[in-house]
Amino acid sequence: MLNQAIAKLQEIFPAPEVHAHCDGPCGVYDPSAARITAEAVLSMTKKILALEAPNASDKAAYIAYENTLSRYIAIKEEQAQKTKDDLLILWTDYFKPVHLEKYPDLHDTFWKAAKLCSACKVEVSVEHSQELMAAVQKIHTMFWATKERDVAWYTAS
Amino acid sequence: MKWQLRHKHLGDLLLFLIRRRQRFRITGTSMLPLLKPGEEVLVAPVQWRRNQQDGIAPTGQSSGITLDTGDLVVACHPFRPNLRLIKRVIAVRDDQTYLLMGDNPEAGASTDSRSFGAVPPSHILGKVICRFP
Repeated sequence: MLNQAIAKLQEIFPAPEVHAHCDGPCGVYDPSAARITAEAVLSMTKKILALEAPNASDKAAYIAYENTLSRYIAIKEEQAQKTKDDLLILWTDYFKPVHLEKYPDLHDTFWKAAKLCSACKVEVSVEHSQELMAAVQKIHTMFWATKERDVAWYTAS
Repeated sequence: MKWQLRHKHLGDLLLFLIRRRQRFRITGTSMLPLLKPGEEVLVAPVQWRRNQQDGIAPTGQSSGITLDTGDLVVACHPFRPNLRLIKRVIAVRDDQTYLLMGDNPEAGASTDSRSFGAVPPSHILGKVICRFP
């Protein structure tokens, strides 16, 4: 009876919230997001390098070329930034001091991977894009090892 | 260790009515399996008094609230002051700061002292006393 009255009151006047908090849906961290965006960076880098400039006298072709190039560049920069954001979230939110004991080069790995994101954003470098993919793969391996799960590395392309 | 949290007694209700207890509603899952999202708890506010011998010590007005390892507390996130957290005290350190952790055993499920470090007493708002109702 008393408890029913309390339950009724709770419905009408909800208490202030306390968070049994997680950064997002609990436990849902996955380096695959960084893998997909890093792959996009590599793909855009290759596409930019493969693009042939048309003769400047053909105005329509030239505009189409400029448009395509601009789009490739915009996507490459956007995906490089996304890769960096995803890696930083894993670094600062998922990985904890206990993991550092097992992987002493954890900070160095993330720091270098983040720097590679910046390099790929600024440059048109297949070499750096491939190094970024390798860094993401290393993080993938480290991540799933902390969860004691064997998740195979794969790429979409 | 299996943690438990009792249901309220009539005395808790009276203390709530005279505003010695605050209600809070749980969101999030880091305190599973003990506390589910949507459940409410009653919390005794902790007030901190600077004590010349022992540094800072909790005083719970006349109610004698003490904080020990294993207690559930409501605390402010050290870097996000508007975020109130509910966590368990897993250690009280010599400098009177507290290590807080979520109960949920799923690795990575809880944002707690493993990511934000020890919490100073000024950030502990209260001790969880019981479920409500």
